[in-house]
Amino acid sequence: MNDELEKSLRFALRPVDPGEKFTQSVLARVAEEQPAAAARQRDHGRSYFGLPARPTFRWASATLGIVLTAGLFAAHQWRIHRTQQGLEARRQLFQALQVTGENLDIAYRMVNNQEPAGNFSRTR
Amino acid sequence: MSETNADASEEVLSRALAGEVAAFGLLVRQHQRAVFSLALRMLSDRSQAEDLAQEVFLQLHKSLASISSTAHLGFWLRKVTANRAIDRLRREPKIEAVPLEEADAMASETLDPDPLLSRQLRALVGQLAPAPRAVLLLRYQEDMDPTQIARALSLSINTVKSHLKRSLAQLRKQMEQSAGFST
Repeated sequence: MNDELEKSLRFALRPVDPGEKFTQSVLARVAEEQPAAAARQRDHGRSYFGLPARPTFRWASATLGIVLTAGLFAAHQWRIHRTQQGLEARRQLFQALQVTGENLDIAYRMVNNQEPAGNFSRTR
Repeated sequence: MSETNADASEEVLSRALAGEVAAFGLLVRQHQRAVFSLALRMLSDRSQAEDLAQEVFLQLHKSLASISSTAHLGFWLRKVTANRAIDRLRREPKIEAVPLEEADAMASETLDPDPLLSRQLRALVGQLAPAPRAVLLLRYQEDMDPTQIARALSLSINTVKSHLKRSLAQLRKQMEQSAGFST
């Protein structure tokens, strides 16, 4: 039963020729494509910084570019961080100096106000 | 293919590989029937089929250096055509089947003993899902064996056999229902 169907299928599905015009259309499209392909090939072979622009080199230069950019960004961030740390340290130092100065001032005043009687060096 | 013909085909391929445009034209001429027919029966639309077949030959022109023999060329063309057609059908499932009158006009020059039956079969094949349709066409139109079909469509051999079995059963059932197809 399948043999009959298979035979009919083979007959029904026999190939058809698209005609001579088809060949000409294909060749015309190939001819159209060739200058574009040649231009692509020229671009493909163009060198950057003296290196041939083969896919490997292209990937390598792209990776190098990304790594350099990331490195510069990290360095910039690190610099900002260090500047902020320095500013904070300076602020803390000023604060400490201020507190110390105030304390010294208080202590000095306390010492002056007490003026013990036995402090002969201070009496005139 | 006789030995002389095979040698001549290999020579044409070598000349095309060397960049001779006329030789590439001969390659197109030799294979356009298979490529166009496969595209036509897959897409059921003549202009879409011509466009797809042209794209396949353009791709061949770009990939010619990877073709090692005429047998490889034949396999490569069928594989690329079937896969491109499946992709196109999945992308644009709305591609309409051609009217029967146009299908008649497309019938080959050989005399058909049962044009009605052939027409019905082509219409039913056109209703199959893309992958089973490609399997059926590569088997019965291009005479490829299941192993080659499996390689061409990146399917397992069991899937190919299952598609063939189910598609034949479906076709037989529909033929019996519609026209009393009998053995």
